[in-house]
Amino acid sequence: MTDTTMNSNSRDSNAEVFFPDPLPGQERFVASLDQTPLKEVDSIDEEAPATSMWADAWKTLRKNPIFIISAILVVFVVLVALFPSLFTKQNPVSCNLENSLEGGGGGHPFGYDLQGCDVYARVVYGARTSVSIGIMTTILVTLLGGLVGAIAGFCGGWIDAVLSRVTDIFFAIPMLLGAIVLLQMFRTSTSIWKIVFTLTLFGWVNMARITRSAVLEAKNLEFNTASTALGSSPMRNLFRHIIPNSLAPVIVMATMSLGSYIVSEATLSFLGIGLPSSVVSWGGDISTAQNLLRTNPSVLFYPSAALAITVLAFIMMGDAVKDALDPKSRTA
Amino acid sequence: MSEQTQAESMKSELARQQVANGPLLDVKDLQVDFTADGHSVHAVRDASFNVYPGQWVAIVGESGSGKSTSAMAVLGLLPGTGKVIGGSIKLHGRELVGLTRKDYEDIRGRQMGLVPQDPMSNLNPVWRIGTQVKEALVANNMDVSREKRSQLAKMLASSEDVTLKGQDDELFIASADLPGLMDEARDAVTKAGKADVDQAIEHFRSEWDPGSETRWGVARDLIAAGVDDDEAWAIAKKYVKGSDMNDRIAGLLSEAGLPGAVTRARQYPHEFSGGMRQRALIAMGLASRPDLLIADEPTSALDVTVQKKILDHLQGLTDSLGTAVLFITHDLGLAAERAQHIVVMYKGQVVESGPSLEVLQHPQHPYTKRLVEAAPSLASQRIISAKERGQDTRSLMEHHTKGEQALEKSEHIIAVEHLTREFKLPRKQEMFKAVDDVSFSVKRGTTLAIVGESGSGKSTVANMVLHLLKPTAGKVLYEGKDTSGFGSREMLDFRRHVQPVFQNPYGSLDPMYSIYRSIEEPLRIHGIGDNRSRRDRVKELLEMVEMPSSVMGRYPNELSGGQRQRIAIARAMALNPDVIICDEAVSALDVLVQDQVLRLLNDLQAERGLSYLFITHDLAVVRQIADEVVVMQHGRLVEHATTDEVFDHPQRQYTRDLLDAIPGGKLSLGLD
Amino acid sequence: MGKYLLRRVLQMIPVVLGTTLLIYALVFALPGDPVAAMFGDKPVNQAVAAQIRSEYNLDKPFFVQYLLFLKNALTLNFGKTFAGQPVISVIGRAFPVTIRLALMAFVFEGVFGILFGIVSGLTKGKWSDQIILVISLLLISVPTFVTGFILQYLFGVKWHILPATAGASPGFIDLLMPAIVLGSVSMASIIRLTRTEISTNLSEDYVRTARAKGLSNFQVTVRHILRNSLIPVVTYLGADIGGLMGGAMITERIFNIQGVGNTLYQAILRGEGTLVVSIVTIMVMIFVVCSLLVDLLYAVLDPRIRYA
Repeated sequence: MTDTTMNSNSRDSNAEVFFPDPLPGQERFVASLDQTPLKEVDSIDEEAPATSMWADAWKTLRKNPIFIISAILVVFVVLVALFPSLFTKQNPVSCNLENSLEGGGGGHPFGYDLQGCDVYARVVYGARTSVSIGIMTTILVTLLGGLVGAIAGFCGGWIDAVLSRVTDIFFAIPMLLGAIVLLQMFRTSTSIWKIVFTLTLFGWVNMARITRSAVLEAKNLEFNTASTALGSSPMRNLFRHIIPNSLAPVIVMATMSLGSYIVSEATLSFLGIGLPSSVVSWGGDISTAQNLLRTNPSVLFYPSAALAITVLAFIMMGDAVKDALDPKSRTA
Repeated sequence: MSEQTQAESMKSELARQQVANGPLLDVKDLQVDFTADGHSVHAVRDASFNVYPGQWVAIVGESGSGKSTSAMAVLGLLPGTGKVIGGSIKLHGRELVGLTRKDYEDIRGRQMGLVPQDPMSNLNPVWRIGTQVKEALVANNMDVSREKRSQLAKMLASSEDVTLKGQDDELFIASADLPGLMDEARDAVTKAGKADVDQAIEHFRSEWDPGSETRWGVARDLIAAGVDDDEAWAIAKKYVKGSDMNDRIAGLLSEAGLPGAVTRARQYPHEFSGGMRQRALIAMGLASRPDLLIADEPTSALDVTVQKKILDHLQGLTDSLGTAVLFITHDLGLAAERAQHIVVMYKGQVVESGPSLEVLQHPQHPYTKRLVEAAPSLASQRIISAKERGQDTRSLMEHHTKGEQALEKSEHIIAVEHLTREFKLPRKQEMFKAVDDVSFSVKRGTTLAIVGESGSGKSTVANMVLHLLKPTAGKVLYEGKDTSGFGSREMLDFRRHVQPVFQNPYGSLDPMYSIYRSIEEPLRIHGIGDNRSRRDRVKELLEMVEMPSSVMGRYPNELSGGQRQRIAIARAMALNPDVIICDEAVSALDVLVQDQVLRLLNDLQAERGLSYLFITHDLAVVRQIADEVVVMQHGRLVEHATTDEVFDHPQRQYTRDLLDAIPGGKLSLGLD
Repeated sequence: MGKYLLRRVLQMIPVVLGTTLLIYALVFALPGDPVAAMFGDKPVNQAVAAQIRSEYNLDKPFFVQYLLFLKNALTLNFGKTFAGQPVISVIGRAFPVTIRLALMAFVFEGVFGILFGIVSGLTKGKWSDQIILVISLLLISVPTFVTGFILQYLFGVKWHILPATAGASPGFIDLLMPAIVLGSVSMASIIRLTRTEISTNLSEDYVRTARAKGLSNFQVTVRHILRNSLIPVVTYLGADIGGLMGGAMITERIFNIQGVGNTLYQAILRGEGTLVVSIVTIMVMIFVVCSLLVDLLYAVLDPRIRYA
């Protein structure tokens, strides 16, 4: 018995006993070589053009019709904001009560509002307020939120713990409520900076959170360890590797939130704690025109439409940028 | 009937049945296309293969060869834009191509199961393991009280000595009936007095899993313990009356080799290790007793020893159930060891197929030849068999190991002494020793490999040697100097001489850096040369790693894993280092690419007298590159010897286990 | 789970302290006379100013002021309005309406946001997805008050389908349009979030494994795709409670609803700083508690969180 067991064991390794004949359809098959020409192991396709992530994203963007439309709109709105006099000869603040609520015609395509101001001129000049507040706030939010987030993510430890708690505190105050408390202290100021600072103060939190997680993710990637082992200092790593690699989500966030800051400014002006009525702004104009809803809805319509189109342009652009920079969200 | 003849008669009976019934799965001229940006890519072209009932068939190929795509086409689960555009897939003679979604849903689970590749991503994190097993049972209306056996399994079972009694022999034990059964079994065995009672009861306890052991199995075990036939069947009939859902879930999990299945079924995936998750996935794949199991690289993500255990278990299970397995793998050795029939795929086509040993011993297609030559498991196997025949093995080895005397004479370039590293575990008081008192030295111009499974502390050692992690105790010496005392200038000098190559070729290069900038970075950090000389140096380095200088303007995302790893080596070589520390540097690569990188490393060592510290979990690779081997387990050094010593005369059981786990170890290659 | 709960409650304490301190500091510690600022562009009423000073302990050091304010806040003692009513009773009268409004908006945005998001995500690229996507983009871009005016004009003024304004004690029908307006922007965001989550989940490995187990398309969609996709949506809904409270101010004003938002707006108009601070403090507290509840719900939905 022992003998046979041993024998069978040694025969285990001998294939012929176990698999006598190949089953039908499983006979030996070898493809002819010209059918599947053998390539070099791991050969490089030298034909394909070289592309960096940014070049790749740009290529995707250029082909995206949504990006093209929104970019044209954004450029147009920015032009209006920079050179309003190119688009209208009228003065938005020289109003004549005699013209109150007069309909459109001639050099005044949108007609007049209750104060007798030219609606078209006010819409054109209002762009400057909205766009500059949007852009300024975005820049400040990106700087402040980005800095706090980057420090928290990069340093870790107690610095991260403290900064994260501070972030939590600001996160617990909804932007609109916080802005109301702060702005009611500065009601008479006509500077757009009070809006910019208020929106920044209550808006940096999201940016900080996104930057922190982006930096944390980039920090844990192996190429940082590799650079350290090459002799690179932590600071060099931060500026040469970590920050460039965490930029994409920050850029996406910045583009998308620009529109929302414009909405926030309009909302605050609408609530009467934003810019006073002496400053030409879409939100303020919408606010003053709201009583005309039943009688003269067109006065309300034009600034609202201008606001909506501007915000839509920025949000669509943000969407397109997000799709281009984040391959995961790309539609297959 | 002797065991041998019985086994043989069973095998021939199996073959007879297989031929008579025809193939279970028959794939003919399969074509699969993916569409991207409006044009289609042929992922699979004219692939034909078949699988017979109860048979293991392996599809072997590198990544992108179309092996997984073919398997997913069979399951009707092609990802994204993938589409079967030609050919036929027949299961039980029924055409699957063009089947409606509803019909496919009926076939999946019940007739075809899947054990997927990555255990980490294939379990839904929000459902309990048991719930996910239950889904499979409920979706296919499985009767949880009794086993569903295939015709083939019945046929195989009937040739054993126990005669089947009645139709309900396939009922499972319920957990509620188990205590009563145990008591009566003890009485019966005691009464029969033919076997050691405690031993028999111990055996029963381990065998009789509720929801898994059948009435027939209980009766067989009782009879084996000396209980009279009729009494055994009476006891079995009295207590084994069918299990409920929870018993069955636990039964399936314990069948798949998961201990403590009842508790485990209530846990969530994140509480499981990779190996445990894979076992749970096996339980799910087999839950509805499919005739065909598609195993898509089921163990590639696991340690070799775990891999071996799981595959052994899976093989035992599918053999007893009569389940056929379509086994997808990139490892030719593993394929040949497990499957009777091998299908080799390359660039979407079947280039060679046939009985596994025949293909392995006499590869015909140049691609198969390449694979056979490059497979590390087979390479080390060749060396072993050559030694057994007393032949000279030097010609077989890419790397010519230095003898013990040569090693003793050479000076130590890196030495670690009593290296220890502790980590604080979250929410636990005691410290966890990742590395525990490890000492060894790397001799100039040689390669020392550290081998161990994940969690053995080998990478922690590498990081401490690289000074990326501070040791808790012990020291690292470079050229005899203690590195912990290095000031910033000495450290920079140390960094210049000791360079790493990391595991993940996708993570170790900054995606924002062009290849030129990546390789130039160390030169820039150390302020070497001006722009022009650096450019020349980068060109030279690219040439060294056999890459055209045209890749300089490219970015890592355009290169394959192996190409990136060669760039990483070029970067490491930029400063003319003395020591390169390779942390699993070839583990993520396909065999052919792995072989290419290993050759490159060997050539560089021969040319420049480099010293390597080579961290790997794969003993098969060690044979191709190392002079000395350190085996680590649970943070401790368990064995340290020359490569030949370790392979020929392993001292520790753990080392022997690791060697045993090398796939293809039991194959006879026929070196003629 | 118990440990997790305890940890979250403990983490809430510094947030509550920090937020109240921040609000308090914004109002009372900025340069200038806070009491004068409370009167805004109106002339300073010395009697009221003195009353405010003593009520807010402005003669004491800053931290003492804050601690006393906190003590008062905890005992719901927020002082009196200009008109001499206790602040808490003014707020108490306004709250039920706002809660009803916010609840309706919450249900609206949750139900329709998730519903359209699911349709959009599951039919990605088809016409239904495109239409939903365009509408959601429009809703996000058009400020709430503009949407409010448009709906008010169309349904209330022009077609007389729904009441244009709510009035003193509004019922379900009166609040329907305001709730839709209040929830519309968040609904659009939820649509977009749900859509993204579903399309990510569709390509997850465990979804393929579930299909391979033989589950029907419906079972896979409900048990694996939706179940996992909704976890971040729930988190978003929780964080949105703060947004709803801010937004209530706009809707209540447009539709003339006598709720907290309107009270807050009137207080701003009258320059009644104490009332403003009190209302904002209460709203922030409600928001913090809601976030905690959502966090707990999150832990129930996602087992990984409980053990993290």
